[in-house]
Amino acid sequence: MPDSGFPWPIETTRLDNGLRVVVSEDRTAPAVAVNLWYDVGSRHEPAGQTGFAHLFEHLMFEGSVNVAKTEHMKLIQGAGGSLNATTNPDRTNYFETVPAEHLELALWLEADRMGGLVPALTQETLDNQRDVVKNERRQRYENVPYGDAWLRLLPLLYPPGHPYHHATIGSMADLNAADLATFQAFHTTYYAPNNAVLTVVGDTTAAEVFALADKYFGGLAARADIPAAPDGRTVPATGRPAVETVTADVPAPRVYLAHRTHPFGDPGYDVTTVLATVLGSGRGSRLYQRLADGERIAQPDLVGAYGVDLAHAPAPLIATATARPGVTADRLRDGLAEVVDELATVPVTAAELDRAKALLSTMWWRQMSTVDGRADTLGRYATQFGDPATAADRLPAWLAVTAEQIAEQAAELFGADDRVTLTYLPEETS
Amino acid sequence: MTLIATRPGPGAARAYRFPQVVRRTVAGGQVVAAHLPGQNLAVALLLLDGGAGREPVGKEGLGAVLAKALEEGTAQRDATAYALAIEALGTELVAGLDWDSFQVSVQVPVGRLSAAVELMAEAVRTPRLDPADVLRVRDDEATALRMDWANPGPRADAVLRADLFGAEHRWGRPLYGDPESVAALESDDVTVFHSEWFIRPGTLVVAGDLDRIDLDALGATAFAGTGGGPVDRGGPIEVPLADRRRILLVDRPGSVQSTLRLGHPSPHRAHPDHVPMTLAGTVLGGAFTSRLNHLIREVRGYTYGIRGDFASSRRFGRFAVSSGVQTAVTAPALVESVGEVTRTRETGVTEEELEVARSWRAGQLSVELQSPRAIASALTTLVVHDLPDDYHARLREALLAATVEEVSAAAAAHLHPEALTLVVEGDAAVIRDELVAAGLGELVDQA
Repeated sequence: MPDSGFPWPIETTRLDNGLRVVVSEDRTAPAVAVNLWYDVGSRHEPAGQTGFAHLFEHLMFEGSVNVAKTEHMKLIQGAGGSLNATTNPDRTNYFETVPAEHLELALWLEADRMGGLVPALTQETLDNQRDVVKNERRQRYENVPYGDAWLRLLPLLYPPGHPYHHATIGSMADLNAADLATFQAFHTTYYAPNNAVLTVVGDTTAAEVFALADKYFGGLAARADIPAAPDGRTVPATGRPAVETVTADVPAPRVYLAHRTHPFGDPGYDVTTVLATVLGSGRGSRLYQRLADGERIAQPDLVGAYGVDLAHAPAPLIATATARPGVTADRLRDGLAEVVDELATVPVTAAELDRAKALLSTMWWRQMSTVDGRADTLGRYATQFGDPATAADRLPAWLAVTAEQIAEQAAELFGADDRVTLTYLPEETS
Repeated sequence: MTLIATRPGPGAARAYRFPQVVRRTVAGGQVVAAHLPGQNLAVALLLLDGGAGREPVGKEGLGAVLAKALEEGTAQRDATAYALAIEALGTELVAGLDWDSFQVSVQVPVGRLSAAVELMAEAVRTPRLDPADVLRVRDDEATALRMDWANPGPRADAVLRADLFGAEHRWGRPLYGDPESVAALESDDVTVFHSEWFIRPGTLVVAGDLDRIDLDALGATAFAGTGGGPVDRGGPIEVPLADRRRILLVDRPGSVQSTLRLGHPSPHRAHPDHVPMTLAGTVLGGAFTSRLNHLIREVRGYTYGIRGDFASSRRFGRFAVSSGVQTAVTAPALVESVGEVTRTRETGVTEEELEVARSWRAGQLSVELQSPRAIASALTTLVVHDLPDDYHARLREALLAATVEEVSAAAAAHLHPEALTLVVEGDAAVIRDELVAAGLGELVDQA
């Protein structure tokens, strides 16, 4: 059993303007990963502005004071690099992996859009990227069967006003209403050096990165009053199950069961992670063995369970199954609920626990096998827990979870009154 | 403003090196390995000459069903015991196929690699293949395909492939078959396919810290009980271009986007123009900065993304453009996409564009070839296409040396906008008239 999930060096500093810089040197390959976590996500969006954090992520690729429109992509790809960005309820991250000799270019580009986006932001750019995002919404959520499940689960799990109540992609109406001034204000408010973590992993040294960070980011001003997102750590119990049934153009009945657990990073969520693996990861999992193999009511490729790693409120555990031909939604829902309920009553065996921990170990080391995977991990732990070195504790924490803890969590959290059930039914075909 | 206005230039370039490649002949099979010192994770992959190209016409999906059936128990243990044994090592058995090969792999912390390879070999060489299990897996696979085919894309892909290559050939039908072809398979089809292609030794690909791995022992495990030599793999197939451009319309009532699949046949993998073709494809549609994505997404806002590329296997290839565009702009998106293909053929690429394309492709070799999984995949390329150990280093040089003239010539030779098949999957009632009026070619409704 490893003592550490992160056996590489970590060095950190903080610039005078509050930007935290994390470096992990690794000379194995001539590449460096650069990763910025901004502590702003869709949880910060007020009513009427859903989808803004994500739309903003798109605008960050459209030019800044010293970088022409579309030049960002061209320069990184022209340097041989890979790049992207993602937004979720918690945060927005931007990252590129480049051949090591282009480290300085990557830092210059990131600094320019951190400090110089607003003057370059035009109505034309906003209108264009609004259209792109609306197409992203159509492609990912509206035009595919079951594509809106996540959009439906969130409001069932979290009440109005809760920071996780709405999905990151936002609503078409809010996206249509987005105006330029709001986005300029959004950048000014949240894209400040003291609201970000810069992580660099790979073929470089801490001294080099610290000097370059100071050179390119050091002149940016901190912002004193960055508004916090609403506090979501306490979700009042409603005292009754949340149930929604959707009839849609889908090829088979599908059921999602969901519960609120603990925030990612809490010891309780480590239990959730192991529990979800026991329940729904792989052919040896309970859901596969019981529903796909045993009773054979669920399609084998579409049965599973997972936690969604959100850190600012009790994170969801989601279990799902899709009916085999001839199986009703009611039967599937009962079967799925039974297996979830048994987590509290049928003890997890040593073999089940070992299997889950072995799969999680491989998953962890796979994330650690690339410089970009490591950079994102360090950025996360620095942003969400204040110390990148705590990344090393996650794998040992998973490996220490016991069968008793799993049963206790299931008994405590997975009661009928706390359950969210979302069922899809195929439209009648006549 | 406190930003630094001057864009920094690159530092001194660091040498690119693909990991050291080790080849062995063990117990009648080949072992090809890459040394990743200090890497905790290791991948072992068994490469078999049992790709979709080996499936008889009418039996599409055979390999995909066999891939699932391998885990339904072995000579030694039943399906549940097998799942628990292999997952206790921290890996699932990953089985899949492309046109040229069938691949089974495991990914584990390096200390568990030999145990994982034992279990992998057990499933590949001695699966139980009980007829009742095989039929159930077949039914599940047919259901899974029906689920998949409810998404936009698979139907359009199948229509394009059939039109390019001819549905009378195996390579004119979907890689994994379709719901009907899979549903029609018999359990004997699966056992015969297994006995024909899965008992030959094949190649064991290993990526990991070779100081902690005994390749001879792994090879002996992987090749135990195998027999039979390699079988002729056939030469490149001549695929004629269409004599005119047509629109094939696949109806998807109520669709809020139209799925576009534009394509024509192109050369096979060993064609001498492979590198300049790849670069021409990159400039046109292979990167975020490419012409298609720039115009259709960044200027017009018609789509979340559009890409175009040349893809090739040992025996054939195709050029294709794919995207999903908002229903209301289907016709203009199609017209402008064809326009970019035409422009690239007629006027070639610019040095500015090519500079980005060649640096990107070359740089990706050091940036993307990091994980054991990625390295194992690169090794399979060497094996499937009979390439030398220094292939990746040579590829990097060839990419960086390609000139505007060479890449423009490849675009002129291998892009055929007048022979494109334009498949559109969308709400026919809404888009049909506009597509006809677009004047791109005859419109044919698909069943």
